[in-house]
Amino acid sequence: MLIIPAFHEEERLADVLRGVAAAAPDFEVVVVDDGSGDATAAVARRGGATVIRHPFNLGYGAALQTGYKYARRMSADLVVQMDADGQHDAADIPALAAAIARDELDLVIGSRFLGVGDYQMDVLRRTGRAVLQALIRAFGLRISDPTSGFQALGRRVLDLYVRDSFPSDYPDVDVLLVAHRHGLRIGEHAVAMAKSERESTLHGGLAPVYYAYKMLLSLWAASSHPRSGATREGTR
Amino acid sequence: MTPEQRLADLRELFLSAPESSATRVLAVMLSLGLVAIVLRLVKRRTLREEYTPIWLLVAVAIALVSTVGPLLDALTRAIGAWTPSSALFFFGQIFLVAICLNYAVRLSQLTLQVKNLTQELAVLRTVVEQGEGSPR
Repeated sequence: MLIIPAFHEEERLADVLRGVAAAAPDFEVVVVDDGSGDATAAVARRGGATVIRHPFNLGYGAALQTGYKYARRMSADLVVQMDADGQHDAADIPALAAAIARDELDLVIGSRFLGVGDYQMDVLRRTGRAVLQALIRAFGLRISDPTSGFQALGRRVLDLYVRDSFPSDYPDVDVLLVAHRHGLRIGEHAVAMAKSERESTLHGGLAPVYYAYKMLLSLWAASSHPRSGATREGTR
Repeated sequence: MTPEQRLADLRELFLSAPESSATRVLAVMLSLGLVAIVLRLVKRRTLREEYTPIWLLVAVAIALVSTVGPLLDALTRAIGAWTPSSALFFFGQIFLVAICLNYAVRLSQLTLQVKNLTQELAVLRTVVEQGEGSPR
């Protein structure tokens, strides 16, 4: 199952769905329309996707979680999530899902920093990424792209991510840390990415400050999560 | 006389100053008014019963400290304040901070419940629509 959270994406969603149909035709595509006021839901239906519609906007993380809840209800064992703004390349979906399907990993993160593509970051974002990496490294988790929204998830991760502690706004390193502390096997796969619309919105006004504050608080809360089972990570 | 002694005397002067009966009457009226407003809100179903005890307790507390003189004096001396009105402001602010924090917690719980209900509704609606669209 492929989950695409979407908010006001009527212009770019059709291209994304065409790419998915060509690259991953075996995946059931589920678009979670997070209370868009435009034709996002209609575009998704025309593109052959199953549409789950929030009556009002709940946030990127809540839209993802709605997809996870639907996936569990449909007894899906493997979920790939990607953004609706065209940032992610659908051609990477099969490779991301492969390690989950083989039950080698529970969570695979599509990383833009493993030598594929030429993703460029400004100083602010580079600094933020370095700080986040250092913080999660302190907890024993090595991830090159902790804010990537392009991920493949197995059943155990779904069971964890449908809990109330999953954030409604920005699920990033904090949820990775929780998964890590629950002993889930986390790995990465090199992908190429375009500029992110979602991350660009974090540059307005005090948003980066709030994001940094919220992430530090979430990391602290996640670090007090009970640790269970053995942990294995690997970079693929 | 040292400055510290002069300050101590001055404080004692403040604390022993006779209270105006108008202040007491005003406080009792405020207390009764608060009770009346709370009961009226409950009658109109604007305020749920479980939220009333705290406000009725506040009304009783206002009436007590304004009518039982030694009580407020003792509280004022206990916290090191100079005047009974300072003590009232002090406790009033503590109460307001506590109640705001309590409401923030309740609001967080409600936000979570609304999110979960909305997600459940959205998922079930999709499942129902799929059922309606499938061949019988």
